[in-house]
Amino acid sequence: MIEAPSTLPTGGARLPRGQALRRGLAANPLLVAGGLLSALIVLMALLAPLLAPFPGDAGSATHPFLVLRPPSAQHWFGTDNVGRDVYSRVLYGARISPLIAVVVLAISCAVGIPLGVAAGYFGGWLDEVIMRVTDIFLAFPPLLLALALAAVLPASITTVIIVIALTWWPWYTRLIRGQAASVAGRPYIDGCRALGISRRRIIFRHILPNSITPLIIQVSLDVGGVILTVSALSFLGLGAQDPTPDWGLMVAEGQNYFLTSWWVVTFPGIAILVTAFAFTLLGDGLRDLMDPKRIFLR
Amino acid sequence: MKPHRGGLLLASGSALALLLAACGGSSSSAPPHAASQVFTYDTTAPVMDDGWDPATEYSDGIIAMNNMYETLTRYNAVTHKADPLLATSWSKSADGLTWTFHLRQGVHFHTGRLMTAQAAKAALMRTIKLGGGAAYVFSAVKTISTPDDSTLVFHLKYAAPMDLAASAAYSAYIYDTQAPGGGSLSKWFNAPHDSGTGPYTVQTWNKGQEFEVILKAYPGYWGGWSGPHYKKVVFRVVSQDSTAAQLLRSGQVTFVEQVSPSVWQSFKGDPGIRTVSAPSWQNLLAQINSKALDLKLRQAISYGINYPGIIAALRGAAVSSSGIIPDGLFGHSASLPNYAYDPGKAAQMLKQAGYGPGGKPLNLTLTYTQGDSNEQVVATLLKSSLAKLNVNLRTQSLAWPTQWAKAKSSNTANHQSIFLEYWWPDFADPSTWFTNLLLTEHPPYYNLSYYSNPALDKQINKVDELTATDPAAGSQLYHTMQVEVLQEAPLQALYNVNYQYAMRTSFSGFVSNPAYAGVVFVHDLKPTG
Amino acid sequence: MIVYVARRVALAVLVVAGVIVLTFVIAHLVPGDPAATWAGPRASAAQVAAARRYLGLDRPAAIQLLSYFGGILTGNWGVSIHTHRPVLSDLAAVAPASLELVTAAMIIALVVAVPLGLISARWPGRAGDQAIRAGSILGVSMPIFWLALILQLVFAQRLRLLPVAGEYSPGLLFTHPLTRVTGFGLIDAPLTGNWPMFGSILGHMLLPAVVIAAYPAGLLTRMIRAQVLDTVGDAHIQMVRALGFGERAVFGRFAMKLAWNPVAAAVALVFAYSLVNTFLVEAIFDWPGLGSYATASITSLDTPAILGVTLFIALVYVAANLAVDIFQAAIDPRIRLR
Repeated sequence: MIEAPSTLPTGGARLPRGQALRRGLAANPLLVAGGLLSALIVLMALLAPLLAPFPGDAGSATHPFLVLRPPSAQHWFGTDNVGRDVYSRVLYGARISPLIAVVVLAISCAVGIPLGVAAGYFGGWLDEVIMRVTDIFLAFPPLLLALALAAVLPASITTVIIVIALTWWPWYTRLIRGQAASVAGRPYIDGCRALGISRRRIIFRHILPNSITPLIIQVSLDVGGVILTVSALSFLGLGAQDPTPDWGLMVAEGQNYFLTSWWVVTFPGIAILVTAFAFTLLGDGLRDLMDPKRIFLR
Repeated sequence: MKPHRGGLLLASGSALALLLAACGGSSSSAPPHAASQVFTYDTTAPVMDDGWDPATEYSDGIIAMNNMYETLTRYNAVTHKADPLLATSWSKSADGLTWTFHLRQGVHFHTGRLMTAQAAKAALMRTIKLGGGAAYVFSAVKTISTPDDSTLVFHLKYAAPMDLAASAAYSAYIYDTQAPGGGSLSKWFNAPHDSGTGPYTVQTWNKGQEFEVILKAYPGYWGGWSGPHYKKVVFRVVSQDSTAAQLLRSGQVTFVEQVSPSVWQSFKGDPGIRTVSAPSWQNLLAQINSKALDLKLRQAISYGINYPGIIAALRGAAVSSSGIIPDGLFGHSASLPNYAYDPGKAAQMLKQAGYGPGGKPLNLTLTYTQGDSNEQVVATLLKSSLAKLNVNLRTQSLAWPTQWAKAKSSNTANHQSIFLEYWWPDFADPSTWFTNLLLTEHPPYYNLSYYSNPALDKQINKVDELTATDPAAGSQLYHTMQVEVLQEAPLQALYNVNYQYAMRTSFSGFVSNPAYAGVVFVHDLKPTG
Repeated sequence: MIVYVARRVALAVLVVAGVIVLTFVIAHLVPGDPAATWAGPRASAAQVAAARRYLGLDRPAAIQLLSYFGGILTGNWGVSIHTHRPVLSDLAAVAPASLELVTAAMIIALVVAVPLGLISARWPGRAGDQAIRAGSILGVSMPIFWLALILQLVFAQRLRLLPVAGEYSPGLLFTHPLTRVTGFGLIDAPLTGNWPMFGSILGHMLLPAVVIAAYPAGLLTRMIRAQVLDTVGDAHIQMVRALGFGERAVFGRFAMKLAWNPVAAAVALVFAYSLVNTFLVEAIFDWPGLGSYATASITSLDTPAILGVTLFIALVYVAANLAVDIFQAAIDPRIRLR
């Protein structure tokens, strides 16, 4: 979150094609690993109803006579404090955090892109106002604002989506503004304007396409961050509520029993780690792929 | 306010910490001889949140107060009778309206004053006047007279067991009312000071911190200090189960009030740790909103609760209950028409009202106390078993003050459908389940099923007097009332709480007394370690 | 330079004002009527109205905002519903422990990140680099609260190598009590010659500091790698090579020196970020700092305390950003001229 925009190349890196792409992939095993892992997680989320031995356990089903059983042949990840199969719940949990991340990032883009374009292209007082507002939001370290908001609003998945989106949009505004401002400042844009090409065409034909690449990179880097934020909020009880199989919630609920039933906390936590890791790896690899400077150095 | 203690608090670890971790401690270098001097009681929630006034304290503070203050009598759970404490003997008149207590000689308050009958009377009169806490245990009292310095006479409006009332866990303490010498007594108490007669007196209060209360021995205690005794008592607030367990294992804590059942089981076989499982007089109640849900629905819900499942899931922390009066108390009956888990019957009854599987979904809300992991398990299991009956139970965990305020609010639309809370008596008398939870109340205070049954009210108002004059008839009336309550289903006792204590083997003499929930009378212990 | 600093300070002040307004808005998002909560559930309508007047809620929003502002600036940050103490004095009591903890975490992170980042940059693309990059991504992808539980279980419970929780051994409360001078345990202990306490605090700090160090370590490793890789292509490094300095000197002395500027900036920012991570870690280790205070406030819905912590950390963040800006401008003249 803190690292991204400043080191990105401005001026839009063009996507390498064909041989250059293959070479890029071969030189970038982390990207391949990240991509495969992310794909695997998405696949597991989609196939959860088929893969889970106890799909009802991801809902309101409980098995009070099977509480806190260690991992076994019937329950690969053991059972939790009300007898639910941890493996099934972890599988279904793959539908929750990544989905929340997608919605949050979609909202952030939907809000951030227009604001960024407006600020970067038009400049002037609009730019000042928008930038100052984003500065104020960015004055809070990412988790903090989400926490403060979530603490005062009723706990639910909707709240989590809203508060994280509220924390995340400024980054995209900044990012797009930077792109828009640099493109808008180029001579050929003046040329376009002189030719009478409409603002809308300029924005959609020139500014936005140039901004896509850094945006994609930023989004894929952010998926991991949003997943971690979601699980942190759930861990504090501010997000999804029982019986939703949210990984962070599962860690929070299992805390009490951790000493004697390590599996209730360990497996959901590993799921969070692996998912955040996979998407961050993917984003990192994409950034490497599309940064000509990096390829040159290798 | 009635606290939520007794349930396992989320991340609760009540461990009595031996301050000097000598007995096996890995990270402390305290000298061993001091180990036998300090008794650390580890609890999960702050101890003195309800203030330091012995007249009005009605929460977890009794674990500390019962070491600083004393009552006229103390209930003996083995003999089911009151034992002498500050009173050495007592008698009652034939009609039960006059009780005469003879007080112990040579007892001094921590302020230095001698305890006389007049001083005791002043304390009790103040408690009764303030009317807080469990002052109602003295509601039968018309006047108190003091024919001489060591005799206290209670003149009652109606017959009531004053020896039991005087042994109450709350509001029955004898304290020096002239402590501040003119200023406000409650301000003086909250400084904090204590003016009790007990073996320990307050040394420090670190509000909101881990080592919350420290008590030191009162040298002039009438019970004396000969033989080995603990000289200091520390109350330590530890919120994490795992922390508490480690502290107990390393000997940094002496007594653990409460840990999760699995952690408690894991202590068995640990050298140096003794586990004690003891019955309590505490049960977990589900109070069903009788204004919003009619009789058929309440009964259907009662059949839809998986009682054996709940007890299995709590693994030793709970035992099944019969009726609403716990085993060990007068009035308990094992032969009552209790509900069993019968989803078929529940579905049938719901169907008659248009709900149930295939019918309209029934949307209910349940509130329980935040931080209590047992209540959370119960709420989840309730949600699950009711879901099978097409009942959507929305469970909400709230901090106790919030949970209670919501239930009492004047906006009835805000009221929950089911209120989960623990209940236990203030002294060895079962009437509290009826007088506090089932008597008609406008506005509601503890009757959070909002139940009103005038016929039952009449019986409730009669039972105390009947018990005092004709115990057999009293017992019969309790049986009749419990049958009515089961039939009407305004509340269900889901289980009786089993205390699961864990402690070091470095002392002997601990006896669990259900009349004083969670209290350890430290002076009675003999440190050996 | 002065103009630049003045501009940044003015901007920071503006941002702080905005932050205060935002916290005011958040405070008023709490559902329910604060006057009714204050008056209690049995209050009559008249009592609720009186409570409203007492709390100043009957005044127009703008006036409320102004008085809120005034309060913040004069040190009145409200009273904690839970501890019944002024929030600011609560913060003063708990902040030092967290600042100590995060400082220790940053030191650990740097000790790990600098060598790994340099090694990674020295041999880019090779197996070691890939492993270090994977490791640093692991660091930033780590769910902190989970790591805390796992490490506590393994090192404290099972292996008994480290203490489970707390700031120091409880026995020391009686044998070697700590006299607070500055509020920072690690400063006060040596100041008063209380060495057993010093050692105990260090031992108790280790596990939570390692947990909090995971994110900064991962981030800084990546950052150092990127910065060093950036600079080694530069002309003056070629000059250094031409002068005959070996690769070790090139990377160790020269490239790292240039990388320090942006890295120092990142350190300041991630320090504030890690302060927020304490919310997830301190409660698990019973470390009596800002995080435990915040967690307790969240569970007890203590809005003044939650907002007090939020405001405090935001101010630290703004101050860190400002310090970084000024520091970078002082070192790199190009920045001032932008």
